Amino acid sequence: MDSGLYIAASGMLAEQVRQNQLSNDLANSSTPGYKPQEGQQQSFGALLLANTSTGQTVGTIDTGVTVGKLVTDTTQAPLQSTGQPLDFAIGGQGYFAVRTAAGVSYTRDGQFSSNAAGQLTDAQGDPVLSQAGAPILVSAKGTVSASALGVFNANNVAQKGGTLLSGTAAGRGTGVVHQGELEQSGVDPIQTMTDMIASLRAYQAGQSALQSIDQTMQEDATSVPSLGGS
Amino acid sequence: MLQGLYAAASGMEATQTQFDAISNDIANLSTPGYQSEEVGFADLLYSGGGSSAGSSVATGSGTVATVIGRNQEQGAIDQTGDPLDVAISGDGYLAVRRNDGSTGLTRNGALQVDSLGQLTNQDGNVVVPPITLPKGVQPGQVSIAANGDVTTAGRKLGKITLVTVPAPDQLQPDGHGTFSVTSGSGATRAAAGATLQQGAVEGSNVDLSEAMNTMVTAERAYQMAGQAIQYQDQMLQIANGIKK
Repeated sequence: MDSGLYIAASGMLAEQVRQNQLSNDLANSSTPGYKPQEGQQQSFGALLLANTSTGQTVGTIDTGVTVGKLVTDTTQAPLQSTGQPLDFAIGGQGYFAVRTAAGVSYTRDGQFSSNAAGQLTDAQGDPVLSQAGAPILVSAKGTVSASALGVFNANNVAQKGGTLLSGTAAGRGTGVVHQGELEQSGVDPIQTMTDMIASLRAYQAGQSALQSIDQTMQEDATSVPSLGGS
Repeated sequence: MLQGLYAAASGMEATQTQFDAISNDIANLSTPGYQSEEVGFADLLYSGGGSSAGSSVATGSGTVATVIGRNQEQGAIDQTGDPLDVAISGDGYLAVRRNDGSTGLTRNGALQVDSLGQLTNQDGNVVVPPITLPKGVQPGQVSIAANGDVTTAGRKLGKITLVTVPAPDQLQPDGHGTFSVTSGSGATRAAAGATLQQGAVEGSNVDLSEAMNTMVTAERAYQMAGQAIQYQDQMLQIANGIKK
């Protein structure tokens, strides 16, 4: 009986995670090169029910839902022309690589700048790497040739903030670097808003289920003993 | 639970920064040599869900906006006919010495002559290196060549040198159209390929149609983030409603 309570609660918790993730997507609807996340829900292990007196099996019952993992949706977003000489976008597969204090990170956000040493850097000041893995120098005229930027493939990418992605290197990417353009955020605001509404209602349904079960238990607790007494 | 609430709020805050930058740009639509502000967005750190459902799942905590520098695009060259107006074409700045002795960089080339005959910018800061007009020489008799040579009747008075820095995005804006060199921007050096044009000023490089476009987009983003906060609020209300 009370397992139903926990199943309903697990559904509500999963929707909470989904709402958090959708809010984050929506907040990043203007972040260049941002890749939205998709939550993958999965069920907990099923229980096998058996008749306690005869030992005969009744069947299985699932015990609720959890968000197993968040998957980054790496679909190409439209490229937007900005006309800025240090804005770059990748059309096709691959990532820019930047050298951070904690090792090489990957990004699709090509809104770059330069530092005092004349190197091409990302917004946090981390040097952008060429295909050979070396920092790239900005010319005296403040420009960088698109062919100077390295395009890398990476596996198991996951967001880590600052538009950077962690991942394991997997050779050269096939994408083409475009100068003076930025890849827009991959978030579709309409889809995200719709998902939020759907998630909200699923959450509400979970609450209703909880209350129904609660009501049933209340009936058990109050009516059954009084029946016995009459 | 509350993380999503704050993620949505961070989206509103970031959009607010973008609004501020656009408003400033539009206000400076007619400021000579003004370079529009560039706003960049970045996602914030990702952390574990914290609840039993999806504790192995890292959700983000929103977004942040930063002004990442100035638009380096060339502004339109406006003819003024004033002999002491110079427009810079290409990547470079005029250097001026401010009253406190520090050096300022500016793209506003509307120059003037002070009581000592020295060339100054509109705020009275002397151009570096200083150029003095001899007594009796009127501004109309001064000619300024594309390479910065200042002459009057064939006599050389000095040279306006254009400078730039390795990282113009890191220059610190000080108002009045001047910028200060910082450790992030690197030291000044001669500007390669920048030339001067006498009798003209560089107009603001703010693109009004683009600014308006960004404003509309930002407004919608702001609205949607506000809506997201309402959904989160509704969820909290539902959670509170479990106990009747």
